Amino acid sequence: MRTPLIIAAVLVALAAVPPFLGLGLQNALVNVLIASLFALAFNLLIGQAGLLSFGHAAYFGVGAFATLHLMRIIEDGVIDFPTPLLPLAGAVAGLVVGAIAGFFATMRSGVYFALVTLAIAELFHALAPRWQGLFGGEAGLSSMRMPWGGITFGSTLQVYYLTLGWVAISIWVLWAYTRTPFGRLTLALRDNEQRVRFLGYNAHATKVIVFAVSAMFSGIAGALQATSNEVANYSLFSSHVSAQVVLYTFVGGSIVFFGPLLGAAIFTLFAYLISDLTRSWLLYQGLIFVLVMLYAPAGIGGIVQTHARHWQRLDWSRLAGPYALGGLGGGLVAAAVVFLTESLGVLFDEAYAVARRGAGGGYPPFEAFGIPWDPLSPVTWGVPLALFVVGLVLLLRARRAIAERWDAVRSAPAVPAAGPGPDARTASTQQIAG
Amino acid sequence: MRTLAAFALSTAAIAWATPTMAEPLRIGIIESLSGSQTSTGRLYAAAVQYGVDLINANGGFNGEPIEVIEYDNAGGSTGAADKFRQAVADGVHIVFQGASSAVAGQITEDVRRHNIRNPGSEVMFINVGAEAMSLTGEQCHFYHFRYATTAPMRVNALVNAMAAAGELGTRVFSINQNYSWGQDMQAAIEAAAAAGGYEVVEAVLHDVNTIQDFAPFVARINAADPDTVITGNWSNDLLLLMKAASEAGLDVRFGTTFLDQPGNIANAGDTALGHYLANNYVPAAGDPAFAEAYAAAVGHVPVFVEPPTIFAVGALGLALADVDFAGGEIDVTEIAKALEGVTYESPVGPISVRAEDHQTIRPVVVSRVARGTQYPVDDTDLGFEPVSVVAGPDAIYPVQASCEMERPD
Amino acid sequence: MEFVVISTLNGVIYGLLLFMVSAGLTLIFGMMGVLNFAHASFYMLGAYVAYTLSGLFDFWVGLLVAPLVVAGVGILVERFMLRRVHAFGHAHELLLTFGLALIFEELIKLFYGDFPVNYQMPEALRFAAFTVFDTDYPFYRLFIGVVAVIMFAVLFVLLARTRIGIVVRAAERLPKMAESLGHNIPLVFMGVFGVGAALAGLAGAVAGAYFPTNPNMALELGVIVFVVVVVGGLGSLKGSLVASLMIGLFSSFSIGLDWSLAGLFDLVGLGAWAHSLGGLMTMTVSSISGTIPFLLMLIVLLVRPAGLMGDRN
Repeated sequence: MRTPLIIAAVLVALAAVPPFLGLGLQNALVNVLIASLFALAFNLLIGQAGLLSFGHAAYFGVGAFATLHLMRIIEDGVIDFPTPLLPLAGAVAGLVVGAIAGFFATMRSGVYFALVTLAIAELFHALAPRWQGLFGGEAGLSSMRMPWGGITFGSTLQVYYLTLGWVAISIWVLWAYTRTPFGRLTLALRDNEQRVRFLGYNAHATKVIVFAVSAMFSGIAGALQATSNEVANYSLFSSHVSAQVVLYTFVGGSIVFFGPLLGAAIFTLFAYLISDLTRSWLLYQGLIFVLVMLYAPAGIGGIVQTHARHWQRLDWSRLAGPYALGGLGGGLVAAAVVFLTESLGVLFDEAYAVARRGAGGGYPPFEAFGIPWDPLSPVTWGVPLALFVVGLVLLLRARRAIAERWDAVRSAPAVPAAGPGPDARTASTQQIAG
Repeated sequence: MRTLAAFALSTAAIAWATPTMAEPLRIGIIESLSGSQTSTGRLYAAAVQYGVDLINANGGFNGEPIEVIEYDNAGGSTGAADKFRQAVADGVHIVFQGASSAVAGQITEDVRRHNIRNPGSEVMFINVGAEAMSLTGEQCHFYHFRYATTAPMRVNALVNAMAAAGELGTRVFSINQNYSWGQDMQAAIEAAAAAGGYEVVEAVLHDVNTIQDFAPFVARINAADPDTVITGNWSNDLLLLMKAASEAGLDVRFGTTFLDQPGNIANAGDTALGHYLANNYVPAAGDPAFAEAYAAAVGHVPVFVEPPTIFAVGALGLALADVDFAGGEIDVTEIAKALEGVTYESPVGPISVRAEDHQTIRPVVVSRVARGTQYPVDDTDLGFEPVSVVAGPDAIYPVQASCEMERPD
Repeated sequence: MEFVVISTLNGVIYGLLLFMVSAGLTLIFGMMGVLNFAHASFYMLGAYVAYTLSGLFDFWVGLLVAPLVVAGVGILVERFMLRRVHAFGHAHELLLTFGLALIFEELIKLFYGDFPVNYQMPEALRFAAFTVFDTDYPFYRLFIGVVAVIMFAVLFVLLARTRIGIVVRAAERLPKMAESLGHNIPLVFMGVFGVGAALAGLAGAVAGAYFPTNPNMALELGVIVFVVVVVGGLGSLKGSLVASLMIGLFSSFSIGLDWSLAGLFDLVGLGAWAHSLGGLMTMTVSSISGTIPFLLMLIVLLVRPAGLMGDRN
């Protein structure tokens, strides 16, 4: 298998490259690592147990606040505690709160489960700014990492390595967990709860344990963020945080173990790179999410996995053409959409209204991508529209061609064994055909 | 301040520590530049840029023009923490921020920690609008300067002016947002009762900028039968409160602190007439040259948060004139020390820094909404008519006991 | 007394507004099993479309056309998106609507900016309906209530007394059976989704002129509407009505309540001890009124997931 080699290469790169990066990028990588762990912890619930939580911010936040409390005690000199083990506080708090919340939440399933988790997170969000002692009110809690064992933990790089260590170990544990008999049992729970119960297992207890473990790792992610930011306030509980992890997970692909990690890494890095360039980043994020839901329900990870599984039998000489065509079409459509969005953003902005007043009510040229455009010129709107149409036609063609060739691949005998379950296979099939 | 062991830490990864010749002074603005509070964030950024342009027109600093870099904190303290680190990575020396006390609380702690860990390459924080008392109380430190008023300054000026005009009455209703600023306001309103000769009939704290319907609160105000309502509400919370009050036909005078936020007067219309405002500056007060110069450069007279921000940059300009690094490395501690000694002459009076807690001693302007004023706002015929200007020494309150500032040697 | 009367009036009207939005949500859930996260976005869309039209033409044009536009958007969403992911299961449908809610919010921000827009009722409606205890009661509030009541009446008659209503109810109970009887069930689903969206759009068009019209309005109302439909019982119209009024009255009255847990302990003589604890003990009902709907929703979900009026889980 090549997988261990790839993982080793990624780990080596993650360990060796950052010292040569700027402070900003190091900090962004810390965020990537934290988001990845959070998404993987979240996916333990939906990907493994089939439980869709809309309130995972609660456990992320609880982990962060617990860590902050511990940091403050250490800072006050009450106890001596090794700084690298700070996230343990988040793990314990996540586990405990997750076990309690999970006990109630998993009494329900489906939509009702989602609503219970949503309500729990909203409770935290509404209560935290009022509860001065526990959550520090609206300003939140603040503290400082103390030096320990000759290491200051002052620089971003040291924080990065601390985070990397915790995230790598946590991910390994999460992965190992899915291999244990108990992990297999959770999978069975997702696919057919009735049967699990008839086999004599306690379905509720199993779900509570999965929920608590997921909350524990979410707590570790929150703790790592608290360790890095040295602050936590009630906004950690906001629905925005819960929404982000859902986005990461499903764009990355919830049925593949490393899918959520992929989604989290891509989105967090993109946010770092372009959030200062565009005000519409959240719109693009939403569009990507909906497109993935519609056309690739198994996510990016699902696509990668399907290719990996059929790698031996893929005839790239026949596939490369349609793929290039699809990439070109997608690129054209994306360029057109981005241009239109950014232009509209400029045109509907207050600053443009001011410019119009300055120009006596006319339509002065606006600037997008560093080039002035005439809003009344047909070229300004005709070219992106043409790009969009051409791109769309190319995409549709490419899709048909790709579906044809994949049908040929799949109809060939001897499907490799050891898939992650029947659901996964059908979903990834649909994503290619769809 | 908690027991922060004063360890001098040196860190390896400070990319910008390498000295270059003629290091430019870099100012970072960490504001909400997207999301629901963008308009306020933009005003701060515009005002800083204007002030810096004035300094740069006179030759800049350290042989280079001052650079201004904007960072979008996305409206929250988590975003601010992230952007502060980015600002440090970009080599920013001075951070400006003002729109939110929660964000300021985050930045001031970030600055404090950064300075403990990186002696010799300190960063300072000029707070141009976050008014929470704790920033100059338990959270105070040497590298934080507040160039803004606080709740007691605004409230004392407001009740004195309203009482002198015979419009305060004896029954005051306090309604504020339930977070540090609103709580400070409520405390200040209660503390000023004896001096103002009124009774606080009721004090209400409510959720921040989430309430859609203020009618229940107006019913409560009406039931308490006050003469005056004093509120520190801002943005939607102020607008909706005043709208609901006018719809219910409530006959009370409002004493406010943020009525000058652009859009408020346009939205409230004639119902705003006669209400009071206590703030840092209105264009009709003091020497008009300041307002006219700003209008000539930016297109409108300075409003809302712009004046205190310009004053702060102006004071910084005076401090920079007192230090000289001869084109070499910039020492922020020297700039901070110089800033402590500076007195900036604003159009409404002098502004100076109180060394004990780095709160500025500054005048407070009380004005009233009237028709046909010199500077109408929001394209209406209404504007703010100055009632009184309370001089700095009269407006200031004693240093909070919770502030224990450690000064650099 | 004064506070009680005014708060009751306000509470009932706010409750009726909540009902206008939750009616569509619960109808859609009852029929399709889809919890539509984007439903409150239809409410927001209604307000913004009506605002735009009222600027171009007239307030009344906006009020009448906005629900139709929103219905159109709803139909497109059902026909070209929801139906597509239907095969992947309910979780996927939920996630899709969740993504759509994000997109709607960002699109509104793109076109209208981050601030509230100045959507106003016409001057002709801006007068006091009556005066109680020297307080003017605005006519427009009553207008919101009346629109909601008319809507409920029409909906009720439509569902209970007409042929269309019978088909819709059949499609809700036993979709397979109704389909084999020759009814076009996908069309019924599309229609119900469109009507549900239109109701939310109407609510937005009416309420947006009174309450602030801003890009956060969907998020703010959306969570409360979830509480309403859960407490009322997912899929039950009558339940939503009762729950809407309950939540409306509650949020109106809780503002005046300065009760706290510590106050409760005062009654048994442990007040001083409770006050010394601080934290949860000394928080007043008015300051944590935001949390209570969620608590209520949690309790209902755990104790009686069918809600007050629902008849199934």
